[in-house]
Amino acid sequence: MLRRSLTLFAGLALPLLASAQSNNTLTVYTHPSFAAEWGPGPGVKEAFEQKCDCTLEYVVLDSGGDILQRLRLEGNSTDADVVLGLDTGTMETARQTGLLAQHSISLDSLDLPIEWQDSLFVPYDWGYFAFVYDTEQLPNPPKSLEELVNAPEELQIIIQDPRTSTPGLGLLLWMKAVYGDRAGEKWQALSDNILTTTKSWSDGYFSLFMNGEAPMILSYSTSPAYHMAIDKTDRYQAAEFEEGHYLQVEVAALVEASEQKALARDFLQFILTADFQRHIPLKNVMFPAIDLGDELPEVFDRLIQPDNILFIDPATVAEKRKSWLDEWLNAMIP
Amino acid sequence: MRQFPFGATQAPFSHPGWQIGPGLLIAGSLLTLTIAGVAALLWQAHLPEVSELWQNRYLSNVIQFTVWQATLSTLLSLALGLVIALALVRQPRFPGRNLLLRIMELSLVLPTIVAVSGLVGVFGRHGWLTSVIEHWTMVRWNLYGLNGIVLAHVFFNAPLAGRILLQALESVPAPRRRVASQLGLAGWWLWRTLDWPAVRQVLPGIAALVFTLCFTSFAIVMTLGGGPASTTLEVAIYQSLRFEFDFGRAALLAIVQLAICGAIWLLMVRRGLSANLSPQRSFSESILRPDSQGITRFRDIVLLLCFTLFLLLPLAAILFRGLPGLVTVVVDGGNPLTDLGDATLRSFAIALPAGAFSVLSALLVLTLASRGGPHLARLSSVATAVPLMIPPIVLGTGLFLLLRPSLGHSSQGLVLVALINGLMALPFVTQLLKGPLTGLDQATAQQADQLGLLGWYRWRWLHWPRLKRPLALAMAYGTGLSLGDFGVIALFGTPGQPTVPVLLYQQLGSYRMELAAGTALWLVTLLLLVFAAFNLPGYRRKQSRHQQDALKTLAEARHA
Repeated sequence: MLRRSLTLFAGLALPLLASAQSNNTLTVYTHPSFAAEWGPGPGVKEAFEQKCDCTLEYVVLDSGGDILQRLRLEGNSTDADVVLGLDTGTMETARQTGLLAQHSISLDSLDLPIEWQDSLFVPYDWGYFAFVYDTEQLPNPPKSLEELVNAPEELQIIIQDPRTSTPGLGLLLWMKAVYGDRAGEKWQALSDNILTTTKSWSDGYFSLFMNGEAPMILSYSTSPAYHMAIDKTDRYQAAEFEEGHYLQVEVAALVEASEQKALARDFLQFILTADFQRHIPLKNVMFPAIDLGDELPEVFDRLIQPDNILFIDPATVAEKRKSWLDEWLNAMIP
Repeated sequence: MRQFPFGATQAPFSHPGWQIGPGLLIAGSLLTLTIAGVAALLWQAHLPEVSELWQNRYLSNVIQFTVWQATLSTLLSLALGLVIALALVRQPRFPGRNLLLRIMELSLVLPTIVAVSGLVGVFGRHGWLTSVIEHWTMVRWNLYGLNGIVLAHVFFNAPLAGRILLQALESVPAPRRRVASQLGLAGWWLWRTLDWPAVRQVLPGIAALVFTLCFTSFAIVMTLGGGPASTTLEVAIYQSLRFEFDFGRAALLAIVQLAICGAIWLLMVRRGLSANLSPQRSFSESILRPDSQGITRFRDIVLLLCFTLFLLLPLAAILFRGLPGLVTVVVDGGNPLTDLGDATLRSFAIALPAGAFSVLSALLVLTLASRGGPHLARLSSVATAVPLMIPPIVLGTGLFLLLRPSLGHSSQGLVLVALINGLMALPFVTQLLKGPLTGLDQATAQQADQLGLLGWYRWRWLHWPRLKRPLALAMAYGTGLSLGDFGVIALFGTPGQPTVPVLLYQQLGSYRMELAAGTALWLVTLLLLVFAAFNLPGYRRKQSRHQQDALKTLAEARHA
């Protein structure tokens, strides 16, 4: 039995070992939903390789947090030329590592809800955090964060842990942006309505929300676009809140230790073209970072468009995150 | 020794060094690896504030809750496991017995995200069972919080406990069973004379195993726990490592975890080890137990049916959700099918070596325990338990820090994944092989010594026949655990080359719910196949008849 397994392994492992790197390879650290077959990754790779006479290779890490952690672990010996998949919650920590280099490209074509001038980070998509609800279970969703916080206990929601998940951190910042110093007591009021706090967005969305466990889950304002365009159903919608919604911008950056800086800059430039951006709306299920005009799928017109955009300066987030997390923890412990 | 016809020097691998050396090497490397992993974290970090452990309200809450839920889960799992094992040993001809045993083997290796989805389908707010219960009784059942954690832990661990206990019960020597049967012992007396002595040997080990599993539980607690109020140490470690980059705190918490689990382990295993020398022999099931008839039989069958349902319903929920997706993928073909195929091959390329590695290491380390005296025995039991107590992410990150400069290509990452997966499976594999390997009674062993059955021959004629089935099961566990692994593979991720669990997470992250449900079902199917494939040889009894006869002659000679 044993010998047979080993032979089998040798046969299976050879193709894996054979993938050697060429000199003209651009290595991009990213997360699974970007690089997956149905994500924007493959389309972007094809489009960029047609232009650059190079090979674009993705190194797929578990999440934005992992990209940053891997970068820190590897330091100057990293293989990465570009990191793609950090966001406004994690980018400042990444800046402080000193492992990133200036992109020195023009950001004029950006079309974001906020002003963006940053010498390190190039945004590639954006969206708002929002509560997605099941219209069949919850015909009348709360109209404001305040209404949700004070909702009767029957209204159960699923959120994600801000320590391990990007949307989870997003809600923490959202509450902070709306309530400031009173966030702790509001969290306490909300805690009756929290059915469960999951590790990651996928755990909550797949295992629980799609199973009908709760009528409402913390997600993105853009999530319904996927259900409407691909699943062809209007059943899942995002609730628009009066106080406004917290903005998430996903960013890419150039790695200081890269030996392919010119190529990497070409790629960052490429991010801001339609050839890259047209893969974003339905494959990353986010808003594109530039104006795509008619190419933006129609379902995006049917998404909520908050009047009030909430956003906390990433530097403040990096500085306060630990104390805000502690505030949340203390509010959630009985 | 020289005077024997085929002496020690002629049998391959018969030098005492062969029985101690490799095991010592493995056990030693295991401990070194663990210490090095934690030390690497500490070395990279600022020295942590130890006083935080009792001053921080959250952290002390974490420790208390971890201990409490683990204790509760362990007690319930062991109780249920024992009841089931007894029912199974009483009813060797229960029609669904083999099916139940297969499912019991499976539940431990079921990846948590898949299992939780199934559990929710049955016990969740809109689950089948919940609706029935709430319709007929006034009980309001809520899956989230302590309820859900304990339920999921029992779902995962009661079958494991039951499986090991059954193996212990089945290994009661035939002469003793025959005597009990002739005396017509039943009820309490049968328990006292036959079952309890068999159970007592393995119980501390299983208790330690289950406790450690529940203590270090991660994904279940995160999904069903409900929030920070019910958080485990493992989660706190994960959080410090991945989001705070606080290596010092992670290392500190890992040490706390190691200390608590280690203390329990030592406490439990110290007694278990000394009692492990009694004979173990598994003969045919021809000796009927006096208590297997009548009302007991009826009760046992009802119990076993309920337990089968408890394990099957969540799997059925996965089947119902996954089948449409899987059928679509297979029928439509194209990219999704290619992806699934590639991911499957990749998963096996990691899982089979990982399984083989865990089985081989377990054998070597166990040989060390039985041949190397009490100190080495303790070393081996500590070494094999350590991978359970140390979070994979701590070990992985630590190794990464140590190896990174020399870690050239991603394929080395894959080897590392297989290695760590193998280590993670080691504790289970050891538990399964321990009884059969060390259970050779002294008289038989002496007789074998006199006959000069040493080294390779001893292994071939004494151990191999009794180890075949446990080995196959151990291999299935080792492979299965690695097949479902998501933690380690995520850390040493390779360029766009997902294994099946990684593919599952990718699909979830991209809203491909139907595909994901299909992949989840496929993963369960693969696990079933692995268990079926590895258990098949063990059930072809007839081929090994002459070996059994040889053994029997050897044993009967002693009793004559």
